[in-house]
Amino acid sequence: MGCPCALHLETDAEPIARAAQAAVVAECTRLDRKYSHYRGDSLVARIAASAMAGIEVDAETADLIDFAAALHAQSGGLFDITAGALTRLWDAQRGRLPDKAEISAALAVTGWQRVRWRRPFLRLAVSRMHLDLGGIVKEYAADRCAQACRDAGAVSGVIDLGGDLALIGPHRDGSPWIVGIKAPRASGRAAARIELPRGGLATSGDYERALIIDGRRYSHIVDPRRGEPAQGFASVSVVAESCLIAGAAATLAMLMGVEGGGAYLRGLGLPHLTIREDGSCDGDIVRVA
Amino acid sequence: MRPSPSLSLLIAASAALTGTNAVRADETASEQYVGYRFNIYGEDALSAPSLGDPRRYEVYSQQFLLNSPVGDRNTLSVNATHEVMSGSSPWYVIPGPDNRPIQVLSGATIRDHRSAATVALTHDAGGNDTRTFSASYSQERDYHSTALGAERTLPLSSALTLGFGGSFSHDRIEPFAAVLYDRIQRAEKNTASAFASLSLVLDRVSVAESGVQIDYQSGYLSDPYKLVFVDGTLDPDTRPHRRGEIAWLVRYRRAVNDSAALHLDTRLAANSWGQHSLTLEASWYQNLRDGWQLVPGVRYYSQSRARFYAPFFAAGSGPDFSSDYRLGAFGAAAVNLNLRKRIGHWELSAGAERYHASTGYTIGGASAADPAVVSYTRVFAGLDYHFD
Amino acid sequence: MRSNAKSRRSSPSQPLRTKRALRWLLALIALVCLGGCAMQAVQPWQRGRLARWDMRWDPDPLQAAMNQHAYFSKEGTSGEIGAAGGGCGCN
Repeated sequence: MGCPCALHLETDAEPIARAAQAAVVAECTRLDRKYSHYRGDSLVARIAASAMAGIEVDAETADLIDFAAALHAQSGGLFDITAGALTRLWDAQRGRLPDKAEISAALAVTGWQRVRWRRPFLRLAVSRMHLDLGGIVKEYAADRCAQACRDAGAVSGVIDLGGDLALIGPHRDGSPWIVGIKAPRASGRAAARIELPRGGLATSGDYERALIIDGRRYSHIVDPRRGEPAQGFASVSVVAESCLIAGAAATLAMLMGVEGGGAYLRGLGLPHLTIREDGSCDGDIVRVA
Repeated sequence: MRPSPSLSLLIAASAALTGTNAVRADETASEQYVGYRFNIYGEDALSAPSLGDPRRYEVYSQQFLLNSPVGDRNTLSVNATHEVMSGSSPWYVIPGPDNRPIQVLSGATIRDHRSAATVALTHDAGGNDTRTFSASYSQERDYHSTALGAERTLPLSSALTLGFGGSFSHDRIEPFAAVLYDRIQRAEKNTASAFASLSLVLDRVSVAESGVQIDYQSGYLSDPYKLVFVDGTLDPDTRPHRRGEIAWLVRYRRAVNDSAALHLDTRLAANSWGQHSLTLEASWYQNLRDGWQLVPGVRYYSQSRARFYAPFFAAGSGPDFSSDYRLGAFGAAAVNLNLRKRIGHWELSAGAERYHASTGYTIGGASAADPAVVSYTRVFAGLDYHFD
Repeated sequence: MRSNAKSRRSSPSQPLRTKRALRWLLALIALVCLGGCAMQAVQPWQRGRLARWDMRWDPDPLQAAMNQHAYFSKEGTSGEIGAAGGGCGCN
């Protein structure tokens, strides 16, 4: 997943703990293999390779693509899994800012409307198009891992995939887990500590994978219409029934910017915390001391 | 608490991935809530010439509803209503100068009460397959009604759902001051209904439903308090002992964007007494910021007269005759507005309706000017609490 | 001569009629196809809007019951579809 992952379990039974741990490792490995765009042998890479010819995808991938298509429609085109070429331009590992020509070249191979998606058949209308499911797979993986732990018999615990959290179940005495929301630009420090009573917590922000040039941070969340990183929020955190929904809400709000994103989050009615680039916080998430 | 429109979209979109079942179009979510409504209904003074106590008719109603899941797949709904009615009502019509009808109003302005309750249990087998059983009871000083009903919805395909059912009600009437006014002392009537409907998902933003309902009534169907002017004498209101009615209903719902929905309803009905009617309704559900919702609506209704209806009768008429304006030809136009505000688990609502009836609104025109056609104004307010 | 002219006039109209009928048939097939396709296209995840509270047949059952009660007490043939509740002395 390219990020620190943690499993917090509370149990007396060692076999359950071991089974849960094995299940989480297996599930994370499977999803990483399948969807990472850093790996040449992933399904995403195979889709890119077969771009114009078309490819039939499995049910899980089809569900993910359906979800991405719905988010594209609901965000007015802001959320776009074809922004793969753009994401690569702004990737921290590249180490330099892209120039105008590179951006317009990437924009030319971006746009969900250029994809023919008739489940389960997918065809990219432009060659060199890249699908990037990274915006949803990590949160999906957190939910899947939590479910795998419950299937293994665990009832109390939290999965943390690089700041995206999914609850296995509350503490054994029924009390909620206290979890930290990471502060942007101050690694290791928590911006807030909150109770997580249900579902998941996801944070979308310009830390972790941000590109830093001349002291300025560039978010890895790219507006597919302009080809430049989203601006306004340094990070958005949302609590929802599932980590997947929390992540989608956070990403959409991040892409919408301060005004539109703030209104969107209030309209959703989900507990949230937003932090602006100047460090000011907003949102109705209940913090604990 | 029900999710906001935008959150519903996210939940529905993620359903396949999170393992929850996809939400279906016309599935009623089994939510737990209690609701209370207060409703004031006031009729206008009659605009046509009238005699008698002109005290306007008023009704104060209170409604209480509890909706709660019982076990995994059942929903129990308990609905209780209490009403206090007062005012004078149309009694009979006499011919005035130039044979212009004059309405005579009942002098009695007694306060009357009505208490009613309905209990319904719905079993949801999943995927739009539901069974509902209901029982109702309504009681007034002079009127008792008991009803039983059953209905079923059955998915025929992913887009098409069949609904059907039936109900039976038994009503008992014991008019007060029956001996004094020479009214019938005790009477009964039975109503049997059967209905069937098809609802169809048209596209991702619209659904439609078309249904047919047949009612059959038998027994005492007259109004024991109304009289009829027949060639200088007053006779009791006398209607046939049977009535059959068939109605065809079409409903349409369309989500206009993420924050609004259009509702269109139309109904055509005809009965064996020679009446037919048309109802058209439209309303707009506008979701605003911060949990506000505004719902304006309009309604039009037009009916033709029953075969045995006239304001007053000449000698040799009958055997059936009635001057009840509800059997005459008239039309009515209504506008209403409802405002809601959600605050956490609570939901406040308030609204009003203006209903204006006139013989002039009738489709095809009305022959006789009926003096008792009634217009009214209603205001209502309510408070709901959604658990969860 | 006369009968000859008649037959000449009537003979070209035969294929014309067939053509018109064919056009109608094609239009009908197109309509049926459109209808069928439209219905198949609505996937469960696309039904989010249909599942909204304000898309129900009766979003507010208490309000609907009170409206129906008012109309029913004033009008001769009004009603709703569904199992009837208790009758009342008002009508």
